[in-house]
Amino acid sequence: MNPFWSNIFRKPGYEGTLAYFLGTIAMFSELSPSELKILENLVHLRNYDLGETVFAEGDIGSGMYIIRSGRVRIDLKDDQGGEHPQAELETADFFGEMALSLPKQRIVTATTMEPTVLVGLFRADVNDSVRKHPALAAKMLLGLNKVLSERLQQAALRHREHLHLPQEPVQTDPT
Amino acid sequence: MSLLPTPGGMLSKPLVLFIVLTAAIASGITLFSSASTIADWFKTATSGLFLPILLSLIVTFLLDPLVLRFERHLHNRTLSIFAVYALLIIIITLLVSLIGPVDWKGMLDALRADFPRYFARALEYFNQLFLRLHDQIPYLENYNIPAKMRQWAEEILGIILLATPRSAMRIGSLFLLVPLFSFFFLRDSQRIARSLISLAPNRYFEMVLDIYAHVSWQLAHFIRGRILEALIIGVVVWMGLSLTDIRYAPLLGAVAGIANLLPYIGPIIGMIPGLLIALVDLGTGPQFWWIFCVYLLIAQVLLDNFILIPILISRVSNLHPLWVILAIVMGGKLYGVLGMIIGVPIASIIKITLLEVRHYRSNFSLSRDIAPGRD
Repeated sequence: MNPFWSNIFRKPGYEGTLAYFLGTIAMFSELSPSELKILENLVHLRNYDLGETVFAEGDIGSGMYIIRSGRVRIDLKDDQGGEHPQAELETADFFGEMALSLPKQRIVTATTMEPTVLVGLFRADVNDSVRKHPALAAKMLLGLNKVLSERLQQAALRHREHLHLPQEPVQTDPT
Repeated sequence: MSLLPTPGGMLSKPLVLFIVLTAAIASGITLFSSASTIADWFKTATSGLFLPILLSLIVTFLLDPLVLRFERHLHNRTLSIFAVYALLIIIITLLVSLIGPVDWKGMLDALRADFPRYFARALEYFNQLFLRLHDQIPYLENYNIPAKMRQWAEEILGIILLATPRSAMRIGSLFLLVPLFSFFFLRDSQRIARSLISLAPNRYFEMVLDIYAHVSWQLAHFIRGRILEALIIGVVVWMGLSLTDIRYAPLLGAVAGIANLLPYIGPIIGMIPGLLIALVDLGTGPQFWWIFCVYLLIAQVLLDNFILIPILISRVSNLHPLWVILAIVMGGKLYGVLGMIIGVPIASIIKITLLEVRHYRSNFSLSRDIAPGRD
């Protein structure tokens, strides 16, 4: 369905709300329903067309995206401009979370593969929530910490694997 | 049926061109004239709203941190705003019942009666001064400065006499409008800003949001700092003057505080009425020198330069004197005295915004895609 209409005719009841959707994301699993309601007003809903660039390698990252509906492809670009697909993400996947704590350039490119609705959570709003809702911000940042730690551990494991078996190709982390 | 141009068609071509051109010119004129009437209507409709909106914005910036503090515990912004309002009403009632009400209106009436007296005395003093000067510098006689000063004095007096009854009527509506506007600014400003930002195209959204966050933080800091500075200076001057026998101490404090918003010349302008009244009423005794000290040493040098400006105001907002003069002149052209006072803060706001955008762009070199001209 057109994301515009699906937003207006949201399913009645809690299950259809953005707050419920956010609660299903691992990063926000510790948040209570009332905190999810606040989070709902912190995030930005953005609609994308097919093939639109969400962000490109080298952009200044300022936040993460969660896929509400649709699909997103993550690419690495080489020097010649060729694209190397790294991952295809679907509903309830998220990407770009490293930029949430650190204003660095993006290291991958994210492109939509169909009309997509993304939920954006950005550093400016997280900083705001630290001042306004410290408890919520603490839980949210702990969740982010958990995600980043997991990624770091995966990378470390892969690095170890790489040291023992140098002939295997290195898999790069999508984000 | 044929696709070939008929003679009639050929003939009608200039005619069509003529009609189209005439229609275009006519509609252009209509649009232009209606636009100017619409602009006129707009100006008339909003003329009385400038001051209440300005005051509500000031109140909003001052109360926002307080509301935030409440919101952390109450988890409801509307409720927090009401709590802050209730707290303010309690504090003001307590203050009024403790100190007793300041009789602003009586003071203003008295000042209006006294004003010609002060000016007459000041002119007399200057006349003597110039007479003495003429003896030494005969060249000055060509300029007839006292007459010019009398003319200025009468003009200022006329403005004040004309403006006070009108503003007295307006003050009533301010008491109603300012709390109302501030309430909505406090409650919805963030929502309004978010909906405006959400209009940005996807590709630039992150950048717009980031720059907005930086700029708004800096601006809130600057505006709050300026308002607090004016308030503190005003209260200190009031307190300092209250120790002497001078009349109109609260009014002079308010003038000094507001004038302090102007850099370089503001403090001097704020000083003049106080010194004038002191000179006329008290003469050049120890009290006059105490008042002089309050204005210059305590309020300006000690408080403003050593304490308030380093704490409240960042150096980023410093403007070149040339810009200050331009801002005052242009503000005065647009909105009179009020424009002169807020012209400089607005120029600072523009400067801070530009600096923040430039800082953002230079700190993070923008990628090929986002750089202008390549998208």
